[in-house]
Amino acid sequence: MIEVRLSEEHQRRLPFFLAMEEWVAKNLPTDDYIFSWRVNPTVICGRNQDISLEVNLPYCRSEGIDVVRRRSGGGCVYADMNNYMFSFIAPGSDVEQNYIRYTNACASMLQSLGIDATVSGRNDILIGGAKVAGNAFYRLSDRSIIHGTMLYDFDPVRMSCAITPSKAKLESKAVKSVDMRVTSLKEQNIALSLEEFGAYAMEYFCSGNSLTLTDNNILEIEDIERGYYAPAFLYGRRHTKHETIKRNKRIDGVGDFQVELTLADGGCITNVEFRGDFFEMGDVKMIESVLIGVSYDRSAIEKALQYIDISAIIRNLERHQLYDILI
Amino acid sequence: MSKIYYLPSHEYIKVEGETGYIGVSEYAAKELGAVTYVDMPEEGDEFAAGDEFGAIESRKAASDLFTPVSGVVLEINAELEDDPKLINNAPLEAWIIKVRITNPEELDSLMEEEEYAKFCETHK
Repeated sequence: MIEVRLSEEHQRRLPFFLAMEEWVAKNLPTDDYIFSWRVNPTVICGRNQDISLEVNLPYCRSEGIDVVRRRSGGGCVYADMNNYMFSFIAPGSDVEQNYIRYTNACASMLQSLGIDATVSGRNDILIGGAKVAGNAFYRLSDRSIIHGTMLYDFDPVRMSCAITPSKAKLESKAVKSVDMRVTSLKEQNIALSLEEFGAYAMEYFCSGNSLTLTDNNILEIEDIERGYYAPAFLYGRRHTKHETIKRNKRIDGVGDFQVELTLADGGCITNVEFRGDFFEMGDVKMIESVLIGVSYDRSAIEKALQYIDISAIIRNLERHQLYDILI
Repeated sequence: MSKIYYLPSHEYIKVEGETGYIGVSEYAAKELGAVTYVDMPEEGDEFAAGDEFGAIESRKAASDLFTPVSGVVLEINAELEDDPKLINNAPLEAWIIKVRITNPEELDSLMEEEEYAKFCETHK
């Protein structure tokens, strides 16, 4: 395998690395490529998941956890700096065969460290029945992208709070996450530090065989990365049906106040607009932008707006009046 | 009388006059394994040849779906919402979208059955 390296050190958001995989698959000659990366706290949804049902968006927002969608299938995962992500880009589009090649290589790498790792039927890596690495597959016409987590250490509270098991999920046809017991390399008393483990894994897979991307390559990758932030991709373009709610009220001392909300299937706000003859003292867009991605329920909306000084933006509008017109 | 054409990314279009039925080939269905979800566009959506019109997800992987020709979506196969595995059972019957073909000349650049069979053979 060839390790794909970046010459820079600065911290990137997760979609950059997803874009890097796509760039490698579409631009480099046929071969096996791999790279590892780490990100600040991020929840990554599967291609066909309903974000508003799978992710606790108010929690992620308040904790500064990034929420993104990948193009591969499967369920939600939480990643942070204590977790290594591996990206494997292989020739051909045979799902079964490439999964076996990658997961066997990962299990062997862990076994070489004295860890009793096995591959599960769902293509996860298990240690003693608990998951240490989960993998997902994005199949292109003639290339395969497999990426997955490798938990060095984890924060079980953040992990479970960021991802919601919700009752509504059972009703939805979108792809659901599967709950499973997890473990980490630290729990398995690995002798290497986090950084040492990352370096060891790459050396094990590639034996020093590597290539470094140029600044120009990176510009092209950043171009692909932008597509991952498009609300239509992030919040679901088609697998979520949209509903519009319009409300209109005359509020004494404020004026005519209209709000138009667009909700995704799972009840997550995907667009909001305020109109009316109220007096704008600050930027109304600030309220609007805070509401995007929030579940359409009263407590989630109140929580999302709790630190915004409403009457400093719309003259005389009290907090409860805004909540009442929204929901 | 219908005729089938294929893309290198393994989508097919079954053409009956001005109407095309787009789905994934048997080869793709087999590689993907048990299909669990098909992300489809809406009726009336317009696409140019080569556009991504949706996604298909199996128990193991997700793949983009591309349109072989330009067209307008006349219908989506709603049966796939409840039973996406129909694609595994009979890929050529379980079309994903039905389109009105707006530029039939584009069909000339697609692979016909024999050529596609050879293409799959060399890509194994």
